[in-house]
Amino acid sequence: MRTKEMIQLNNEKRKRLNEENLKLYEDMLVYVRLNTRKDEQQTEEVLLEILDHLLIAQAENKPAAMVFGDDPKAFCQELLDEIPSESKKTTGFFIAYIVLQFLAIISLVHGLLGFALHYFFQLSTAAYKINIGYGSIRILINLLLLYIIIHLILKWIKSSTFKENKRSNTVSFLYTWIICSLCIGAWIAIPLILPIPDFGASFHIPLLSFAVIGALLYLVSMILNKKLHILP
Amino acid sequence: MSIRSQLLKGILEGCILSIIHMQPTYGYELSMKLQKFGLSDVSEGSIYPILIRLQKEKLIIGEMIKSEAGPKRKYYHLTEEGKAALQQFIANWEAIKQPVDKIIDKGGEET
Repeated sequence: MRTKEMIQLNNEKRKRLNEENLKLYEDMLVYVRLNTRKDEQQTEEVLLEILDHLLIAQAENKPAAMVFGDDPKAFCQELLDEIPSESKKTTGFFIAYIVLQFLAIISLVHGLLGFALHYFFQLSTAAYKINIGYGSIRILINLLLLYIIIHLILKWIKSSTFKENKRSNTVSFLYTWIICSLCIGAWIAIPLILPIPDFGASFHIPLLSFAVIGALLYLVSMILNKKLHILP
Repeated sequence: MSIRSQLLKGILEGCILSIIHMQPTYGYELSMKLQKFGLSDVSEGSIYPILIRLQKEKLIIGEMIKSEAGPKRKYYHLTEEGKAALQQFIANWEAIKQPVDKIIDKGGEET
């Protein structure tokens, strides 16, 4: 069974849990699934197994603690310690996919927006000047910031599991929100406050071809995903 | 990890191999069998990390099979390596069981 089918089956079966078990199981699900570097097939298989187990226990009126012990978080950690890591190749493709999507969206939005501003409002120029040195540094900085944001959000979601206390959830949400906002701010501010000099070759490309490049990149990332099943 | 839980883990691994060897088993059934044999001290779920490890070591293989009752379940069976590992466990266990039993029986007195 492929991971996609298992996730669907999991979604279906989960509906049969009672409120208390559902809350616990969903915490476990989030906690285990957020480890993006773990082998997905193995992760989904074991998640489905423990769901089946919990469902039978529920039918026999056994408490979840009998299945997972008194510390479900520690139980999840034990599972994670054993689940093998995703192969380097799969991780590589995943990163390539994210980077491609990111570049595609940036160039698409840049190209289309710039084109619209130019033709409808006579703002900005019809061609976009690209300097290789400056451009690649900005892309690198942006990817780094993107990585930090994704990492922080995942960390926050993970920290919000297995908690009775709603208040600490709110505090950690605010904390994550502030840092993410700072990252997005940095995204915009870095080119303004940090003058990165142009170096290497520069060339002009029309805004519309910029958008076309974006669309092409997007297509490539879609094909990559379809061929390699990067995302379930 | 404490010596006690490490010891228990090794023994549990051997017991799981032994039960799967008797007939292909799925998770819930496996934990029920362990309990029926008297290993009720371990929480039911603690077999799952071990099952993942045994799969990683290629001692067992899990396959999604339609069960008699209907739903698809992951049934485990032993590989050739698994059978060899089970024989090894049985030999190790025999080697340790008798001396330990004797020591406990005699209260540590030399015979």
